[in-house]
Amino acid sequence: MKKVLIANRGEIAVRIIRACRELGIETVSVYSEADRQALHVRYADEAYLLGAAPSRESYLRADKILEIARKSGAEAIHPGYGFLAERADFAQACLDEGLIFIGPRPSAIAAMGDKAIARRTVTKAGVKVVPGTEGEGSLSNEELLSVAQKIGFPLLIKATSGGGGKGMREVRNKMEMPGLIESARREAEASFGDGNVYLEKLVEGARHIEFQILADQHGNVIHLGERECSLQRRHQKLLEESPSSFIGDDRNFREKMGSVAVKAAQAVDYLNAGTIEFLVDKEKNFYFLEMNTRLQVEHPVTEMVTGIDIVKEQIRIARGRNLSYTQEDVHQNGAAIECRINAEDPYNSFLPSTGLVTHCILPTGPGIRVDTGVYPGFEITSFYDPLISKLVVWGETRGQAILRMRRALEEYRIVGVRTNIPFHQRMMDSHRFMGGQFDTRFVEERFSMDEPEDDKTTNPEIAAVLATLIYHRQYEESAQIVRKGERDATNWKWVGRWERMHR
Amino acid sequence: MKYVTSVNGHDFSIEIVDEHHLNLNGQMLEVDFVTIANQPVYSLIIGGKSYEAYVYPGEEDYQVLLKGSSYAVKVEDEREKRLRAAGGRAVSESSDFHLKSPMPGMVVALPVAEGELVTKGQVLVILESMKMQNELRSPRDGKLNRVRVKPGDRVEQRQTLLSVI
Repeated sequence: MKKVLIANRGEIAVRIIRACRELGIETVSVYSEADRQALHVRYADEAYLLGAAPSRESYLRADKILEIARKSGAEAIHPGYGFLAERADFAQACLDEGLIFIGPRPSAIAAMGDKAIARRTVTKAGVKVVPGTEGEGSLSNEELLSVAQKIGFPLLIKATSGGGGKGMREVRNKMEMPGLIESARREAEASFGDGNVYLEKLVEGARHIEFQILADQHGNVIHLGERECSLQRRHQKLLEESPSSFIGDDRNFREKMGSVAVKAAQAVDYLNAGTIEFLVDKEKNFYFLEMNTRLQVEHPVTEMVTGIDIVKEQIRIARGRNLSYTQEDVHQNGAAIECRINAEDPYNSFLPSTGLVTHCILPTGPGIRVDTGVYPGFEITSFYDPLISKLVVWGETRGQAILRMRRALEEYRIVGVRTNIPFHQRMMDSHRFMGGQFDTRFVEERFSMDEPEDDKTTNPEIAAVLATLIYHRQYEESAQIVRKGERDATNWKWVGRWERMHR
Repeated sequence: MKYVTSVNGHDFSIEIVDEHHLNLNGQMLEVDFVTIANQPVYSLIIGGKSYEAYVYPGEEDYQVLLKGSSYAVKVEDEREKRLRAAGGRAVSESSDFHLKSPMPGMVVALPVAEGELVTKGQVLVILESMKMQNELRSPRDGKLNRVRVKPGDRVEQRQTLLSVI
């Protein structure tokens, strides 16, 4: 494998280019009209235009991507996450073209992609699933309503071909259900081109813990430990860590979950990197939620604690080699936390913020990693997701990692768009977060941007001084405009202008 | 110049003496205040302590983001304060509210029809942007008036979508 096409954009495309570079593999980027100046275009060895900015006309154009692969002589395609990453038909089309798809087999994507089939398959393999409908394909609204009675409320409406919380709605009672089904279908249709939804019992007080899987073509399947992903807002993950403070020192529990995760992956004859998501209740019962048949956004926290480069392993697997590690080789060392830095304003109900990033200082120094596709001069548009970067830190202990993350967040400067950095700063100060006392509802129900933590020192007088100095400066500037006849430039400049005028 | 600056309802009396000195609640302090690279990021050294903050001007106040906290800061000079004391408040609940799009996107739905009564917090527009559906809500009670968009329309940032009277 000498040349890889990366069918993605943003930070993940950059991440994959980096792995390829280190392996001495040439890279081919594809881009939309809005991304001509994006980092993944600038870093790649070759770059080809796909089409207009909307994903449907660019990053979702499988036909064009395959044509570019042919034209450029790429031998493999890495799909990243999102876009075409979990489309079995695209993976199949790659194989039909004689290209290597850096990911699972189309059959595994299809089996895990349709969550109804996924649940049936893993149940057969002896893995527990979340109580709910087995989701028999496309149910009508009436059927959903009657099944809902049997499962009981509260429950979730989820998109059959969904992910990332899109097309997902929580239902508290029967009254609000019809409206929520409609909006879930609408969002699913817009995001995935498939409006089918299914129902799932809502496990309250649950934690979202997932296991990273690697599987090679020779039947070796290992897990790289867990990631704690309970901190979510509207089912979008905001912050992930490894290891999970909930599992903590309970090595037996970790091994039990890990081996179940491996079993679930084997049930679909899995290949390459994937993630098994579990819901875990307070009594340490865990249920299979879904499998993500791709590289995850939050993969770096696993890389930080295990020292394993997951993207390089993906390429290694795709080349047909054995995994570099056995299960015994995998150890978690220290703790890692990832904050997703999004272009959204936490003080204004997390509304997305678009615009030109005019200024940017990345946190650096010991134990810090920033994966990003954004730089000063780059414009954040409304066409793609609002992820600016992933700020990842490593510490010897979880406590050390939290202190380091606080330091890194304080160093990080992004000007031009609003970011959720203040949200993460507040989270790092939260007693419940520090104590590991949270579940998947924490951000939405018990976390506020308004009320400060009790012992947090604030500096209202400094805020007052800053604003007053700015106000004063503006006042002085406006006063200067009124003062007539006074020159706004030095006398030397005036002489220069006068001379040029009379040349 | 003397100012009365309030932060979350708490007043500070600040007098700017000269370029490098100010008086904060009766205490004289040495200050050094600069903009970083002409951005809304400011560095302040005051009494030897160094701070850096984002300051965003709002319609009536400044939002200061400092060490992970947000402060709503309202600055008034003495003249303004006297004017306000004499004239009473000008802006009120009774003026029309024009909902401007906070970001570019596509209008997905308008749950309320023109002419209908709305309550504070009610969803007026569902706007899709960055693949997310965002609910834009009414800041007060009133009647929906002059709806300028329809579902399916692409809108620009700050474009007026509708009014609440």
